[in-house]
Amino acid sequence: MSLIGKNPEVLSPSPVENSNVGPMLVLVGVNHTTAPLDIRERLAIPATRLAEATRTLAHQPGVREALILSTCNRVELLTTHDPAVPLQPANLAGSPDLLRFLHEYFAIPAAVIQPHLYEFREREAVRHLFRVACSLDSLVVGEAQILGQVKESYSVAREVGAVSTTLDPLLQKAFSVAKRVRTETEIGASSVSIASVAVDLARKIFGTLRGKQILIVGAGKMAELAARHLIEHGATSLLISNRTESRARDVADRLASQFSRTPISTTILPFDQLNDHAHRADILITSTGLGAQTGDQPGAPGKLITPAQARAFLDRRRNRPVFFIDIAVPRDVDPAVNALEGCFVYDIDDLQQAASSNLASRSKEAAAAETIVADEVDQYQQRLSAKPFIEAIKTLQLSAETLRRQELARSAARLATLTPAQREAVEALTRSLTAKLLHPQIAQLRSGIQPSENDQRSSLTPPPPVRIE
Amino acid sequence: MSLLWLRAAVLLYSIAALAVLPAALYDRPRWRRIAIPATIAGLLFHFVSLVETFSAAQQTAPFDLITRHESQSFLALLLVLAFLAVSLRYRTVALGVVLLPLAVLLSLEPAFRPGPETLPLAHSNWIFLHVALLLAAYAALLLSLLASVLYLIQERRLKRKLPALRGLPPLETSDSIARRALLFGLPCMTAGLLIGTTVAELTVGPAYFRDPKVLLSFAMWLAYVGMIHIRQHSGLRGRRAVYLSGFVFLVVLAVWSANQLSAVHRFTAP
Repeated sequence: MSLIGKNPEVLSPSPVENSNVGPMLVLVGVNHTTAPLDIRERLAIPATRLAEATRTLAHQPGVREALILSTCNRVELLTTHDPAVPLQPANLAGSPDLLRFLHEYFAIPAAVIQPHLYEFREREAVRHLFRVACSLDSLVVGEAQILGQVKESYSVAREVGAVSTTLDPLLQKAFSVAKRVRTETEIGASSVSIASVAVDLARKIFGTLRGKQILIVGAGKMAELAARHLIEHGATSLLISNRTESRARDVADRLASQFSRTPISTTILPFDQLNDHAHRADILITSTGLGAQTGDQPGAPGKLITPAQARAFLDRRRNRPVFFIDIAVPRDVDPAVNALEGCFVYDIDDLQQAASSNLASRSKEAAAAETIVADEVDQYQQRLSAKPFIEAIKTLQLSAETLRRQELARSAARLATLTPAQREAVEALTRSLTAKLLHPQIAQLRSGIQPSENDQRSSLTPPPPVRIE
Repeated sequence: MSLLWLRAAVLLYSIAALAVLPAALYDRPRWRRIAIPATIAGLLFHFVSLVETFSAAQQTAPFDLITRHESQSFLALLLVLAFLAVSLRYRTVALGVVLLPLAVLLSLEPAFRPGPETLPLAHSNWIFLHVALLLAAYAALLLSLLASVLYLIQERRLKRKLPALRGLPPLETSDSIARRALLFGLPCMTAGLLIGTTVAELTVGPAYFRDPKVLLSFAMWLAYVGMIHIRQHSGLRGRRAVYLSGFVFLVVLAVWSANQLSAVHRFTAP
């Protein structure tokens, strides 16, 4: 919390000073740690209404700029406030305007929202925004979607004209910090979704997926998703088999249209010929759930792929490895198949487990990311606190220049007889005189921009009053 | 002078052997930038050292003796070469975890305890070629065995659904290294043995064939050919491939150490 946030009145009195003081940054919101899902659901703003909500927020009294971030895990209002409109001290009961907005917009009693609400001001708000953009505040730390969602919110707010001098550069900075975190840490490196874990595993087995044959059995959504991931990573050849052949054809068409630029070959395999062709596949994705009638124990009859079948596949493939991705519940591939040399069977639980253990390793990277964020917040605050000084210098110079011209204009009649060379000399003389008179003040202001190393807070003390009579 | 080069090489290999650990095991790819250049530099010094040694030997007498140290140092050079070739071709430094320390160990003795310890081997260009080709075959076999072990480790981790070790090469890469190394080793071993046989036939006469080391060498060749045949035709991978390579490697070790028993290799035969 900066000095400006704590004592807004310190900076408000003179009109000249007022232009040097930035509006105050306030962030209010709920997220997955502070509010249960039912509260978040009630506060969530659908994408179609985001523009209108942002506009409404920006028109609240005292609010200058506004941005709303609404995802399934958080609803946050980022605003800048007019420093002329006093705000209550920062605590959860603060920002009555924002609370009122939440209350009025969602028709939820303030008392219901308030216990779940957090509020950050100034430096803390900047830090929170950076952490959110870097996915450090996410339920799944390091997930990549949040940055896209922040960008979306920003572009909506920009379209309705709700962001300008403060939020615009702040958001740009948040995006660049997020990029820095992505490149300098491995926070997003390990896969935490089931489909991407499957791709990772396939690459552990085959190295590259280029030229690998994929067989999809069962036209489920998840199987299609996994296939899409594999194609994105270089697989080009697909066999699709489903009891209802038309659905297999639908999947093939969808995949072909999605990857219209990469030449992928899709072949529909009649379901009853599965055993004759399955050995061609390096990666088998099964999602039929046909074992439902026969139970889910190893060795249970009626599995789509039994150890005997798998052994036959291996013989026909001369023991080249096969990767079974079994996302059916109950399972399609007998777990005993995993015991065969060269067969790797991963069911939905295995994939989920791998995803969550990758999550754990992310927390290590998160610590490094936090350091980057802290560093960036410091830099941002430093630049921000230098801004009033720069503004003050500009104002000072402008006033002096205006004064100089006025004085010259007043003496214009007396100077009329001067030759151009003499006129030029007078110009130079007055210019140098004003510059020299201003020098001590400007030097003093400049010293405020460069904070001393021992005391960073010196940068936060306001510039001395500027008075040009 | 050649000793100085060799010591520099040992030092550089040691640096590379240390740097390859974080690069391969702890997923710190930046260490690669130390490991690979250090290996290349070490290899250059090593090469210079060996060339100097051999040219010095050539000058003194064409039938000078080749020392055990020299062949050990040469094997180290071949192992490092194999490591470099694999890491450049397959972008994996995992094999360096074993190959580089092995190269250090093999060249440590020649570099720091140079003694008159000589292995009674006649030194001619043909004998040199015989030794070089067989050492290359040994290096290839060792590389293949290592790659098979890596395959086994990766396979087990995948089967038990343990979190992946990032430094380990994918299964197909390990398999490909293992297979290609064997295929490279076979012609080396065959040519090496043929040269040795011809030279022995000419110098020792038909009695050479009763020599224990010679007999073992042919057993080794048969085992090697058999192994390649099995691997190629049944697509043998994983555990059984490691056992097979391990067995052939033991035979090779036996052949390597059989000099004590070999009259042909001491040139004491009539």
